[in-house]
Amino acid sequence: MDIFIQLLINGILLGGAYAGLSVGLTLIFGVVRIVNFAHGEFLMIGMYATYLLVTQAGLNVYQSMLPVALLLFALGFGMQKLILQPIMNADPHMQIFATVGVSFTLMNVALLVFGANVVSTPNSVNAEPWSLAGLSILPGQVATLCVSLLGALALRIFLHRTFMGRALLAISQNRSAAALMGINIRFAYALAFGLGAACVGLVSATLTTQYPVFPTVGSYFVLVCFVVVVLGGLGSIAGSIAGAMIIGIVDSLAGFYVSTGLKEVVYFAIFILILAIRPAGLFGKDKGV
Amino acid sequence: MTKKSKNPLRVLGLVFLTALLAIPYAVQSDYLFHLFILICVFGSLATAWNIVGGFAGQLSLGHAVFYGIGSYSAALLLARYGLSPWIGMLAGMLASAVVAVLVSWPTLRLRGPFFALASIAILEVIRLLVLHESDWTGGSSGVSLPLDIGLQWMVFREKGYSFALAYLFLCVTLLAAHGIRRSRFGFSLFAVREREDAARAVGIDVVRVRIAAAVASAMLASMIGTYYAVYLTYIDPDTTFSLALSIQMAMFALIGGLGTVLGPLVGAAVVMPVAELTRAWLGSYGNGLHGTIYGIILVAAVVLAPRGIVGSLQQWMDRRSATGPSSAGSAGSIGPDGGTSGRNGQEGMGGQRGGIPVLRAAGLRKSFGGLAATRDVSIELMRGEILGVIGPNGAGKTTLFNQLSGYIAPDEGTVQVLAGDGTWRKPRTACEFARCGVGRTFQIAQPFSGLSVLENVMLGAFMHTDDPVRARASAREILAVTDLAPHADKEARSLTIGGLKRLEIARALATRPSVLLLDEVMAGLNPADIDRAVALIRRVRDAGVSVLLIEHQMQATMALCDRIVVLDLGAVLTCGAPADVVRDERVVEAYLGKGFSHAESA
Repeated sequence: MDIFIQLLINGILLGGAYAGLSVGLTLIFGVVRIVNFAHGEFLMIGMYATYLLVTQAGLNVYQSMLPVALLLFALGFGMQKLILQPIMNADPHMQIFATVGVSFTLMNVALLVFGANVVSTPNSVNAEPWSLAGLSILPGQVATLCVSLLGALALRIFLHRTFMGRALLAISQNRSAAALMGINIRFAYALAFGLGAACVGLVSATLTTQYPVFPTVGSYFVLVCFVVVVLGGLGSIAGSIAGAMIIGIVDSLAGFYVSTGLKEVVYFAIFILILAIRPAGLFGKDKGV
Repeated sequence: MTKKSKNPLRVLGLVFLTALLAIPYAVQSDYLFHLFILICVFGSLATAWNIVGGFAGQLSLGHAVFYGIGSYSAALLLARYGLSPWIGMLAGMLASAVVAVLVSWPTLRLRGPFFALASIAILEVIRLLVLHESDWTGGSSGVSLPLDIGLQWMVFREKGYSFALAYLFLCVTLLAAHGIRRSRFGFSLFAVREREDAARAVGIDVVRVRIAAAVASAMLASMIGTYYAVYLTYIDPDTTFSLALSIQMAMFALIGGLGTVLGPLVGAAVVMPVAELTRAWLGSYGNGLHGTIYGIILVAAVVLAPRGIVGSLQQWMDRRSATGPSSAGSAGSIGPDGGTSGRNGQEGMGGQRGGIPVLRAAGLRKSFGGLAATRDVSIELMRGEILGVIGPNGAGKTTLFNQLSGYIAPDEGTVQVLAGDGTWRKPRTACEFARCGVGRTFQIAQPFSGLSVLENVMLGAFMHTDDPVRARASAREILAVTDLAPHADKEARSLTIGGLKRLEIARALATRPSVLLLDEVMAGLNPADIDRAVALIRRVRDAGVSVLLIEHQMQATMALCDRIVVLDLGAVLTCGAPADVVRDERVVEAYLGKGFSHAESA
């Protein structure tokens, strides 16, 4: 039983990381209607940026959160403005190709600049696991979970309480009607893309306490994020948090009870099943077809 | 897309293919042979990918699965049992075909990014399983192939022979793609990609067409997988079942031109040398550089030339020929009456009117949630009559119409169609309805907009023939009847609204229906076009086709129809001759409300 509770806690903490990454992905899809295949590379860049800020500028991991988030906001904003906006009305396949192309480019640029080596960010913050009633909890993971949830909460408040946020919601419900109401769609798209990337920025900084960074680190995470986001219903923030928790727990339990090598198989199988049976996700309203 | 404009491109293509073969033999350098083998391998893979990604429009990012199955089948059979890779190649192709069918089922409904995501997930699952089942796959350490030399082992001392083999496989792949593109199957794939609903209306079995494309593509990719595994003499899961490889296949196809036959190869031939040469010059120092180049070229291609090299070239040629003097291409058009009488003769049931029903609907009920769209509707369409269905907005006309053509399955009730052999059939799917002789149009015209007007109609004609030449001929006849002959070679999207509506009718007629369902074909037309449409519908009926039409254009309906069915609130209000129906008080009431009928009678 103890081991089960420990696994459950591990799963939720892992889910915390997935949640922060997936919220950004789902926001971008909800507003811009693009599945951002370069999302994992945003994470990779965020982690390298944190690594540089910690080693070169002497900040600690949590102090680098804000600058990294700003950097990624700029990256996302620019990507939408420069690459995706010109092809917004093209065949949807072109948008997939574009984000895949950006992903491929960024990954290889990182390989060029940093090499294939795995680098760990030196951690100046206390990383000793807490022991609590026989359970062991890593403070870094708790921090990631908190950052993810607070980020999602802030995003929710922004979306529901501010004019610009409501404009984004309006666009996600009906593009043309929103445009008729005088919302600047182009700016809103870029803003949504930037915010989605900034969410990744916040989480990527905290993730450097748990994971080393290497050029393809994003591919691993992004696939899980796709699963999470589809599970929760693309475009739904609450859904993606729920999806992240489910996948975190499945990951943790399947890793123990099935096999470490097959845990991904378990949730990819869930993913394919969800796509086949209920493409709108467990909590989504839109059709995935 | 006239024959004339195609020819220079075809010559160019042949020159290109010859150069691809001749250059390495002329230079005789091992490195160049290697480079050209890479071009052949990746060109073939991209060509195979293009059958699904370009022709069928399903963007797969997991195509390395089939490449990997081909690699592993041959490698394992060779390394474990000493079987020739030719046997492994066949085994791999069969296994890939099976996997393609299995994988197609859950992903058929998915579009765009969702299909792409599912294909990545499937790739990951298979990669992880291959890694995990290390007892027979060798796991992460991969499989090394023994080096037996000779044609039966696909291994040669001279690179020239290896290249010849690669070129042979390339030709097989290209011929397959070319054959598919020109055939009825290819047309069906384009139709399904552009508009699924309209494709079903011309009798295309969407599911079967998609699966067939997936199988063809998978088998070709698998074949190349075997060849390349033997060439490399070593394979491991991470490089064979690789997302990067899948992306490369898609990328070459995009850069060369999605949906074109030669495009994917051209893409590979243009991009591959650039990246490989940089890699060779910079060595390990440039680790990641060739990937960066790939990525940048891909993004640039998407933004700057989404039609790809071959696609842009085709467009440019089309434009040039369109401005030239001899572009009309209506040389082979046939007199306006040739078409109908031809069809008439084949159906053999012109003239005799009334009495015999050809379409029977009984007790149709359909609810959407709490809303009963049709409540117990029964109607009969008689042979050779024009039956109008009218009713106020929301009366359930379109729902009825969709049930009569198989687009909506009724909750209760049956639809029966008198087939050509005189038996009553109960078709279920839209495609079966079309094959039983029920043609339909769509209220909002659904042209296959990337195809020419002629090709649109050919898609209908393909229901009765496999032969593109015949389909083209009968499509030309139909175009003549429907006043579309002058527009035959224009892109369908360039037609006016009146032209689009006639194209809808033409496409339905090309399936040689015995029953034609017309959904508001006169809505939004100008008076001249309405007169044309009325005359056309009469001609169609006189040729022996029974017509059921939904229409808001009352004047034309009254003039055209033999009988009229009035629907209100999902039920049949009344049915009879046009003159009786308009005088029926209940009809006036349904359209205008109680007050009006009182006021008028007062």
